[in-house]
Amino acid sequence: MPTNPPPSIVLEDVILAYGEHRVLDGLSLSVAPGSIYALLGGNGAGKSTTLSALLGFAKPESGTILVSGIDPAIAPDDARRQVAYLPENVALYEHLSAVENSDYLLALSGSPRSRDTIITALDAAGLQERAWDQRLGGFSKGMRQKVAIAVALLREVPVLLLDEPTSGLDPRATGDFNRLAIAVRDRGTAILMVTHDLLSAIDIADRIGFLDAGRIAEEVEAAGPDRFDIRALHARFAGPVAV
Amino acid sequence: MGDTPVGDALMRIWMYEARLLMRSRLAAFALILMAVLSIAAVIAGLWEVASQRAAIARIAPAQADDIGAVADWIDKAKDPGSAAYYSFHPTWDAPSPLAFAAIGMRDVAPYILRVRALGLEAQIYDGDVYNAELALPGRFDFAFVLVFLGPLFVIALFHDLVSGEREAGRARMLAALPGGSRHIIWRRGMLRLALLSTTLAAPFVAGAIWSGADGVATLTIVAVAIAYLAFWAAITTLVSWFGRSSVANAAMLAAIWLMTALIAPTLAHVAINQTIPVDQGAEIVLAQREQVNRAWDIPREETMRQFYAAHPEWADSPPLPATFHYKWYFAFHQVGDEAVAAKVRAYRAGLERRSQAAAALGWILPSVGVQAILTRLAGTDLIAQLDYQDRVRAYHRRLRNFYYAYMFRDRPFGKADFGKAPRFSQD
Repeated sequence: MPTNPPPSIVLEDVILAYGEHRVLDGLSLSVAPGSIYALLGGNGAGKSTTLSALLGFAKPESGTILVSGIDPAIAPDDARRQVAYLPENVALYEHLSAVENSDYLLALSGSPRSRDTIITALDAAGLQERAWDQRLGGFSKGMRQKVAIAVALLREVPVLLLDEPTSGLDPRATGDFNRLAIAVRDRGTAILMVTHDLLSAIDIADRIGFLDAGRIAEEVEAAGPDRFDIRALHARFAGPVAV
Repeated sequence: MGDTPVGDALMRIWMYEARLLMRSRLAAFALILMAVLSIAAVIAGLWEVASQRAAIARIAPAQADDIGAVADWIDKAKDPGSAAYYSFHPTWDAPSPLAFAAIGMRDVAPYILRVRALGLEAQIYDGDVYNAELALPGRFDFAFVLVFLGPLFVIALFHDLVSGEREAGRARMLAALPGGSRHIIWRRGMLRLALLSTTLAAPFVAGAIWSGADGVATLTIVAVAIAYLAFWAAITTLVSWFGRSSVANAAMLAAIWLMTALIAPTLAHVAINQTIPVDQGAEIVLAQREQVNRAWDIPREETMRQFYAAHPEWADSPPLPATFHYKWYFAFHQVGDEAVAAKVRAYRAGLERRSQAAAALGWILPSVGVQAILTRLAGTDLIAQLDYQDRVRAYHRRLRNFYYAYMFRDRPFGKADFGKAPRFSQD
């Protein structure tokens, strides 16, 4: 009898504070392989701290954090080997081309690849051919993101952490990004995306969690052909709007 | 698994680090400028040393001309006193093969001194009045580039090593990579240090080979230079780690440089000079001349008594004639020298104490310490200068004894006797 694979990302009753200020207050969530979890929340809700904890930058006071079964607070390097992280503003090296940036970051990650393999990944990430050997000086945020996602694809890591991936992207670039995220998910990667972008979350997430005061206030799962009740989610996320 | 051997990853990283460095305009400019300044300093040093060697090489023919000019005249009267009085004898302090790297005291202290058998103290300190303009900043040589300019280049290359990644927004992403950002920063720092050291030291090594310098001393200077740059790189990286902006780092590091390389050494030297007072060499010259002039006002016999008491080997000399005799003249010059001997000893001891204090200061202020090591290895420090004075004194003693053997024994001094005069040698 087939059993569900264990979740790639686990946060269980996590309490994390900066000084006196408790940022995560009993946060629990999990992300299964091949699924996208969108973590929504207002400013200061603890979204970025959640990513910091998963990357081993911040240590919880209590609770369990596991990335592919590894506690990042205990073995941060081992945990980071399982993770690709894309910050809100993907900043790469302006003096290097897209191929060079990918090659360099892959070498830094201990996963060097040939030029042909890198080009294939850049192509798969949707970066146009003319941009492959261009220095990143004139790249848009979307183009940089494609380079970073190509690197993440080539690292073949089981976990992808995305910090506000669609902020500042135009609708077309957002659409490109969403398609790419789905493609990555379909390869079996567990994606945790912290975002303000409800529409993007609705488009691609398999589960959406609303983070409030350091804990999941509500969690909804995609179901049926419409996946999510957009109006209900919008009301939940933005509050009622009087017309 | 990747489709490229993992061992290749490290080579790729170094290659990209080098590429990133060379594609950064500031870094590339700094490295090129460092190389240009180092080459210029080495060439300037070699030029200066070559000109000093040429000046020393010109001594022999000039000396032959000088002696030739007085020899014919002396030969007529055969008077050894006139021969001793009118003939100058050259001494010199040839630069060491590494002197080009740190000109040091050779800039302000004489490296050629023509002496007569007369009172030495007035001659040896005659060039002791330094050119203040040269003495203050020092000459533009390799030591100057290393000690004063080197840290500025380190600051230019290292001040944003950590903060630059933060400001570019890459710090968090790099920190999220396996191994974190420490390895990246360390590797980047090592590469910058290696390139900076190479651009600084390569011209020096070429100059040292050109000069035929000793390999161990050359490598010691290279090691000191690398250690000094590494010290500044460590300070700069440390400052850069504290979350401030690159501009704030640069400003703070410039202040540290100003304090440790310029202000603190200057204040420390003022303190040393105040704590260890030393008369000027010119004061010894004046005191010796006063003693010499006094001899004209006292009976000649009193001078001779004093002289013979100190130098009994000449006491059997015939009595002074009623007319002028050079042996009296030379005797009161020597008595004048001996009258200021205590001052001379105190002057030298004071200089040595100051030198020791400055060397001790080098343990606290690396700029002072590095300069002291370089001038020591180059043979251009105070110790080398005092050593030259010792050699001049030893030679002057031989010169006096040579002429005294004629003067005090009333032996005639002919043209051929000039060829028997002792000659100065460097060793």
